Amino acid sequence: LSEKVQAIYMWWHRPAIDRELLQSLPNLKVIANSGVGMDHLDLKLIASFGVKMANVPHAVSSSTADAGMALLLASARRLVEVHHIAMSSDIDYCEADILGVKVSGSTLGIIGMGRIGYKIALRAKAFEMKILYHNRTRRKAQEEQAVGATYCEKIDSLLQQADFVMLVVNLTPQTHNLIGKRELELMKPTATLINISRGAVVDQEALVMALQTGVIRAAALDVTYPEPLPRLDHPLLKLKNVIITPHLGIKTDKTMYMITEEAVENILAALNGLPMPSEVLPS
Amino acid sequence: MWYHKPVVNKELLQSLPNLRIVASSGVGIDHLDLKLLSSFGVKVSNTPFIVSTDTADLGMALMLASSRRLVEGYEMAVSPDTENFPADWLGTQVSGATLGIVGMGTIGYKVAERAKAFEMKILYHNRSQRKKEEESAVGAVYCKKIDDLLQQSDFVLLTVNLTPQTHKLIGKRELELMKPTATLINISRGLVVDQDALVEALQNKVIKAAALDVTYPEPLPRDHPLLKLKNLIITPHIGSATKKTRRTMMEEMTESIEAGLAGLPIPREVL
Repeated sequence: LSEKVQAIYMWWHRPAIDRELLQSLPNLKVIANSGVGMDHLDLKLIASFGVKMANVPHAVSSSTADAGMALLLASARRLVEVHHIAMSSDIDYCEADILGVKVSGSTLGIIGMGRIGYKIALRAKAFEMKILYHNRTRRKAQEEQAVGATYCEKIDSLLQQADFVMLVVNLTPQTHNLIGKRELELMKPTATLINISRGAVVDQEALVMALQTGVIRAAALDVTYPEPLPRLDHPLLKLKNVIITPHLGIKTDKTMYMITEEAVENILAALNGLPMPSEVLPS
Repeated sequence: MWYHKPVVNKELLQSLPNLRIVASSGVGIDHLDLKLLSSFGVKVSNTPFIVSTDTADLGMALMLASSRRLVEGYEMAVSPDTENFPADWLGTQVSGATLGIVGMGTIGYKVAERAKAFEMKILYHNRSQRKKEEESAVGAVYCKKIDDLLQQSDFVLLTVNLTPQTHKLIGKRELELMKPTATLINISRGLVVDQDALVEALQNKVIKAAALDVTYPEPLPRDHPLLKLKNLIITPHIGSATKKTRRTMMEEMTESIEAGLAGLPIPREVL
């Protein structure tokens, strides 16, 4: 059987691609990933076996942008908290205690303005949000104008002005712990951090401290490190001003379908010796 | 007046001979008997426009939270029993889906503006059709018959006033016209929906889910069947509940009261 395998379509990081597996599949030509993040794969190792790799950037962008906005709105309007109040037997609450933060007209800082970041900007613009962004490279002028986004070459400038900071970067050695104690302290005390990228982009211990001491107002995390968080008393699981979701960025019926379509397209191209629409090269 | 209290009835009005003005918070005035107040020579004001953006934001928040199963997801993420996140746990896509807006006033239109950025197809039902430029700006298609909207929408969002005509606008018939995969979002008034019919529809999966910022009464009695449903998000009437907006509402109400007491034209008077 192992001689017959030419392609692997990965589903949520399985199977684990290690040297053993690669050695046991001599005719493997391509690995397609069911998502856009490739940080769980040793790209150099895979390439050294002459195996091509692909991700699915187009399929995931809309639903992940939607999830980012869902988290931003849920956190700002305290949706999870007040839902529990509305459903619970304890209905004595003070109205002043359930006030949220206005989203429309506020400032959104997008860190990582790739495909997903840009779709977030398009959505945020409709909420009349002022948009700042930080990225390795600046976007074209027309792209900036279309969403009214202002480039912040220095991340500090974005952090100091934003009411909502949204992380939409790849996980790389450069973005590991990108948001730590220093960055959190630069943020406004009324600001909210939203992470839809990878858990390791944030220094989680620093985040816990910042949330406990009011350095920032709240956080909404679709991703953590690890996933799920260890159950035994992890502080993030207990904080009132945190929403955690189970890495649901791409988890919709429609997107699952599109992911498979895009992955299969790449696999067929690789098997037929044609250029792959979303090939990922080790770099 | 804040959250419909105190109740303004004949007894109260008779006991307050020098009452000149009732300033009501928010935009809805369905809780006020305007004819009665007028007969006592008492003027009425509300705070119509300031609430629109936050309420539209909340409508979007509820649609996104419901479709992506945010509350369930949160509970799973923090539950002591969770060992892994299941691979087949899916929500419903918002981007590219069809939104049907019932009531295209100020708030409904703001919802349309937001939904357009999510590449949603927008249908709307309203007493009157909007101008062509307004429709094209948000890509909204008019449905003269509410049935057409109900049959095609993945999300049905209610943003009407409560009037005798909109009372129980969404009942058993309307819920059955909706797709079984559809979600109902109510940010208008609890009485716009036949609540008993909604309970049945949710229990029998006639529709997929609902998200309600408003119910009748508010709050619901603690043994109400709605509170037992899993495919439901309820929020405690927080449409305008942001610090900024509440502050502005109070400023506007104070301004109306001062004008009323000074015998000057009243900003935001309700006639």
